[in-house]
Amino acid sequence: MSPSAEHAIVRSELRWTVVVIAAVSLIMLAVIFAAVAMHINPPSNVERIDPQTLHLSAEFTESDLGTRVEANGQVTARIVATQFAFVPRCIVLPANRPVTLRFATPDVIHGILVTGTNVNTMVVPGYVSQVHTVFRTTGDLLMPCHEYCGLGHSEMMATVRVVPREAFRPGPDGRVSCADK
Amino acid sequence: MADREDDDGLTDERIEAALRQTPKGAFALAGLTVGLLMLAWAAMYVLVFLPRGSVG
Amino acid sequence: MPTNKRLILAHLWVAFLVFAAACGLGVWQMWVRSPLSAPQDAPARYYQSVTGHGVAMAYVLTTFFIMGFGYFTAETSLKAEIPAPRLAWGSFWTALAGVALTVGSIASGRADVLYTFYPPITATVWFYVGLVLVVVASWVWCGQMIAAMARFKRARPGEPVPLAMYATVANAVMWLWTTAGVTVEILFQILPAVLGWTHTIDVGLSRTLFSWTLHAIVYFWLFPAYIAFYTMAPRAAGGRLYSDTMGRLSFALFLLYSLPVGMHHLFMDPEHSTGFKFIQMSLTALVSIPTLLTVFTISASMELAGRLRGGQGLFGWIRALPWDQSMVLATGLAFFMLWFGGGGGLINMSYGMNAMVHNTAWVTAHFHLIFGGTVVIMYFAIAYEIWPSLTGRAAGSPGARRLQLWLWAVGMMVMTLPWHYLGLQGQWRRVASFDYSDPRIAAWGPWVVVSLGGGVVLLASALLFIANLAPRSSAPRLTPAPTYAFALAAHPPRSVPRALNGFALWNVLVAILMAVAYGFPLLQFFTGDAPRALIHPLSGG
Repeated sequence: MSPSAEHAIVRSELRWTVVVIAAVSLIMLAVIFAAVAMHINPPSNVERIDPQTLHLSAEFTESDLGTRVEANGQVTARIVATQFAFVPRCIVLPANRPVTLRFATPDVIHGILVTGTNVNTMVVPGYVSQVHTVFRTTGDLLMPCHEYCGLGHSEMMATVRVVPREAFRPGPDGRVSCADK
Repeated sequence: MADREDDDGLTDERIEAALRQTPKGAFALAGLTVGLLMLAWAAMYVLVFLPRGSVG
Repeated sequence: MPTNKRLILAHLWVAFLVFAAACGLGVWQMWVRSPLSAPQDAPARYYQSVTGHGVAMAYVLTTFFIMGFGYFTAETSLKAEIPAPRLAWGSFWTALAGVALTVGSIASGRADVLYTFYPPITATVWFYVGLVLVVVASWVWCGQMIAAMARFKRARPGEPVPLAMYATVANAVMWLWTTAGVTVEILFQILPAVLGWTHTIDVGLSRTLFSWTLHAIVYFWLFPAYIAFYTMAPRAAGGRLYSDTMGRLSFALFLLYSLPVGMHHLFMDPEHSTGFKFIQMSLTALVSIPTLLTVFTISASMELAGRLRGGQGLFGWIRALPWDQSMVLATGLAFFMLWFGGGGGLINMSYGMNAMVHNTAWVTAHFHLIFGGTVVIMYFAIAYEIWPSLTGRAAGSPGARRLQLWLWAVGMMVMTLPWHYLGLQGQWRRVASFDYSDPRIAAWGPWVVVSLGGGVVLLASALLFIANLAPRSSAPRLTPAPTYAFALAAHPPRSVPRALNGFALWNVLVAILMAVAYGFPLLQFFTGDAPRALIHPLSGG
């Protein structure tokens, strides 16, 4: 057994290791680029809210849910995920304009995605899940509950109605709902 | 050291001879497959992921 | 030559029979989800079945197979009986009792909580008691593996522990770390709630503890496949392992990096900040390194075998390999599926990119390919490989073995490629039925039917596997009873560095990394008023 043969093996393994580290580094760089330059991050505002008194909270009482244009022009939709429905079941949002989605649940773990977009978050009792995004396409997008929340899980879904900017007309109270359309 | 029942019948000479050509092919195969993997990842990144827009 | 053949066979038979039954459940689940009309189509039945399928595949098949294969590896590679065979039987019966309790709970309809059992939804207490029994039994197995290696090192100081055993003990050590998270979750959070001592639970904490377990458990399942790649496939191909050192290093790195990465399952969760998500993403990128090193080392081992068999040129050695050997064929198919499954995994771990696929059918496709594909096909190959030395008879005919492996790989690809596509279209997970009359969903129907076709092929393969293993008096008895030998390295090591002959250093590093990765994310739940959610028992149980 020649030691040089074993050295040759170690050398070729090291050469391959360099290739592997380069490949993994490339992926890391692309991911950091997406996060920093393209603003694509996991939704991570750590904001606590008591699930047992959610319906009494200032923000998530039933009359305050849905889409609202704030005084500063920011568009925010507030949605409660509960076994086995979203409240409201349909929200209207403008295309090509920054919007914020805020979710909370009084009961169990839910989750949402909006088909065809990167909008995706878990909805965990005890926390407000918040997603900032800009919708680029218009139409009725599907927003299902994507985490098992009980036997009615399959029925739990909502619609995100993305309308052209000019068709997005809030009422005098700053609110827009699917019934208006 | 290997016990007799572990013996696989290969001699050191044969192993050394085969090692002289190895791992050229493994480099080619692993390089090709990992290269294609990187391309597939990049295609998903550019063609599907980025167009779906900013979130966070 | 294993001494405790009956012990090993008992473990493997429990694993494989439960596996075959769970394949049947899987097919029925896809049928229910498809546009075709299926029998027993009701959400309660569906989630009962998903829970059974998940528990059977993730906890029963894996744990029993790994324990049985571990006993085989210990006795074969160290050429000595395991330290405490009677205790091993005790842990076997304990684990089996645990399975009976958990499966009984599911069958009675009081545990439709899926195999991840996320609180605040809870099942009957017996569901969790059964799982705890399986985990405790597996700890006894870990102790046996660690003690067997220690005894070998005491008896032969300075001599390298055989690679197959080194890897098995790496898995045992990793499993002890891995199970800590879920065990704490069950004992200190779920059981007090299920027993009625408290009515609320900190869901953020429970998800974080479960994530501690959730990634490393996958590597626990994966280890036997890698052990086969390094220590069985090279010999089956007529060659040797290219580098024993790289094998040891890869297994040690798996132990190190598969643990501090579980939060990549929580990228979309609101209870953790971007900082710790980013740290765990970076560590997850590192866990891809030992896999990519393995791809090269195993390719080189196969090239060595191919060249020994006369293969020439850059790729000619591939054709020269003995593809009629089930271990060689399974290794090739496993790496083919690893390309797709690993590629999907790279996308899952890519931080923001996770938002594109999280909780869609893409993820289901990913872990079916990696686990059901790459890992389980190697479980088949390992069983075929060691069957003669356990039973004195070959497992079925060579043609039947090859057909079974091909059916499995083809079925898995046909099932999971449509799932990847549907996941990107937004098809979400864990759904009992889709409303195909909705125009946004209608186009998914045909692809769901295609994947069902793949599932039927998988079920056929699973049944053929059982038939191949089944004892048959018609099969010729092999005399003398064949002894199994693991692959040698191209240069069998005379001595190895201490770090690659034990786990002390690696345990210290794991402790440090876990403190960095999970220290604050866990502690934050003990600061301020961590919110608590009301328990939601899923049924009267």
